[in-house]
Amino acid sequence: MTQVPTQTIAKSGFPELGPPGLLDTMRSEWTKLKTLRSTYVILGLGVLFIVGLSALITFLIAANEASELKHGSIPSPLITIQGAQVGWEFALLAFMVLGVLVISGEYSSGLIGVTLLATPQRKRLLVAKVLVFAITLFVFTEVMSFVNFFVGHAIVSAYPAYPNTSLSNNGVLRVVIGMGIYVTLIGLLGLGAGALLRNAAGAIAACVGFLFILPIALSALPDSFSNPIGEYWPTQAGMRIGLLHQDAHTLTAWWGAGDMALFIALLLLLTGYALSKRNA
Amino acid sequence: MIQVRNLTKHFGPNIAVDNLTFEVQAGRVTGFLGPNGAGKTTTLRMILGLVRPEKGTATVDGVSYQRLRAPMREVGAVLDAKAYQPGRKARDHLLALAQASRIPVKRVDEVLGFVGLSDVADRRAGNFSLGMAQRLGIAGALLGDPPVLIFDEPVNGLDPEGIVWIRTLMQGLAAQGRTVFVSSHLMSEMALTASHVIVIGRGHMIADSEVEDLIKRNSGIVVRLRTPKAEVVVPRLVAAGGKIQTSSNGEDDGAIVVTGLEAAAIGDIAFQAGAPVHELSPVEASLEDVFMELTRDDVEFHGTGAGAIP
Repeated sequence: MTQVPTQTIAKSGFPELGPPGLLDTMRSEWTKLKTLRSTYVILGLGVLFIVGLSALITFLIAANEASELKHGSIPSPLITIQGAQVGWEFALLAFMVLGVLVISGEYSSGLIGVTLLATPQRKRLLVAKVLVFAITLFVFTEVMSFVNFFVGHAIVSAYPAYPNTSLSNNGVLRVVIGMGIYVTLIGLLGLGAGALLRNAAGAIAACVGFLFILPIALSALPDSFSNPIGEYWPTQAGMRIGLLHQDAHTLTAWWGAGDMALFIALLLLLTGYALSKRNA
Repeated sequence: MIQVRNLTKHFGPNIAVDNLTFEVQAGRVTGFLGPNGAGKTTTLRMILGLVRPEKGTATVDGVSYQRLRAPMREVGAVLDAKAYQPGRKARDHLLALAQASRIPVKRVDEVLGFVGLSDVADRRAGNFSLGMAQRLGIAGALLGDPPVLIFDEPVNGLDPEGIVWIRTLMQGLAAQGRTVFVSSHLMSEMALTASHVIVIGRGHMIADSEVEDLIKRNSGIVVRLRTPKAEVVVPRLVAAGGKIQTSSNGEDDGAIVVTGLEAAAIGDIAFQAGAPVHELSPVEASLEDVFMELTRDDVEFHGTGAGAIP
């Protein structure tokens, strides 16, 4: 076997192109997100819950209360908001699952090994995934939130005797925008858990525990414990931005959102650290 | 060129890679051989930055993988053929890889055509056969037109046509001046494909050598003898230090396989015993035989041929 002369040694591919950066990684992650069927299934469920289910509930409440109006009871002026929020409870679970799948799907299929060959800068990879997913989910849920509001508004308008809500009412615009912020943060909770646990079932279980089970368990404790913890519990606090009124022992809308955002930021920092330390 | 220096990795108490040092040169196919579990895949994953070495370094043209500015344009690798999400179309899978590496999008269709997957580019990759998956993996490796290529067991599960295709491909890539590093536990395959081999066993270096040299150096002396008076000759051969094996091809054709004695010495012994000799022929070992010999007792051969490359 003879040694090849040095001049025939192959050179790097596409030397005329610069090295890839964050935007290239984001472009790649965007392609991945939009070429999986699960993305469309879950966003479709989101539309169904947020717009469809909410519209149905709004209609039922409006129809019911409108009939009671005849009997002289006092109408609630905020029906548009109340009915509109039912669907979000289901939709946020779907978005959390989507967040988990964005990363766990790479581990279950083994794609992560190839992804890391293309982008060995693991923190850049995580930043790209988080940005692409967060921007996509935020834009989608904001659009859905406004559609949801106007559909509800139109339904309530069908009952002229009934006081309707408008975006200019105190806090209503904040609630409509805030719902998108809250569920986007929930989606990122899923992504962080998925990246940490690298397994869809485990990550979904962990998120459900964090979102629903622990807060319920907490409420079984004496109020002196549960009130301060529940006040700052990230997903409970974050929810305030999508609700019209402040309850007892809850943070205000923006403090609550800030509390949850801070928690998610810390979770993602931890995820970035784990990703760069672990073998994959 | 791939350079590995003192690479070491344990998994728990078990040593996976034990102080490996070698270089993989451009312009030829280098086989990376060893029994299953020898540490080949772990070594490749350390070269590719997927597993962190405990000790030592692995570099490609002097740079560790994690520091390569455009890694897929420097190194193309197929570790696991099925490493894609099954719901995604083949073209979209490659598109995402191209975008992440800032490779022109038109390159996707070029490599799909090259590996023969153009017709199924818009099918979900989850329905692909193992052969198609290997081709898709190779398409991904070639996407960046890289000067260094690494394949982990590329012919596993392939039909004969696919095996020939991959063999020709690897030799073609090497002929273009690329570095081609291919792991395999199939010696016979490497004998046909590689011109240089690195053999490891239980994580440590056994041999790093040209294929021809390795066979020559480790063949020992194997001679086939056929005689009607075997019962007279055999005790004398044993007394002279020879070892008797059963027929090498497993057929009882009356031939005796003798190791440890030159053909001439065997002929003399037979002559002194007054036994007629019907056949007396030195047998050349195959790479397979050499490998079996080397890995049977790998401690004894520790370090043989290491650093033989200039």
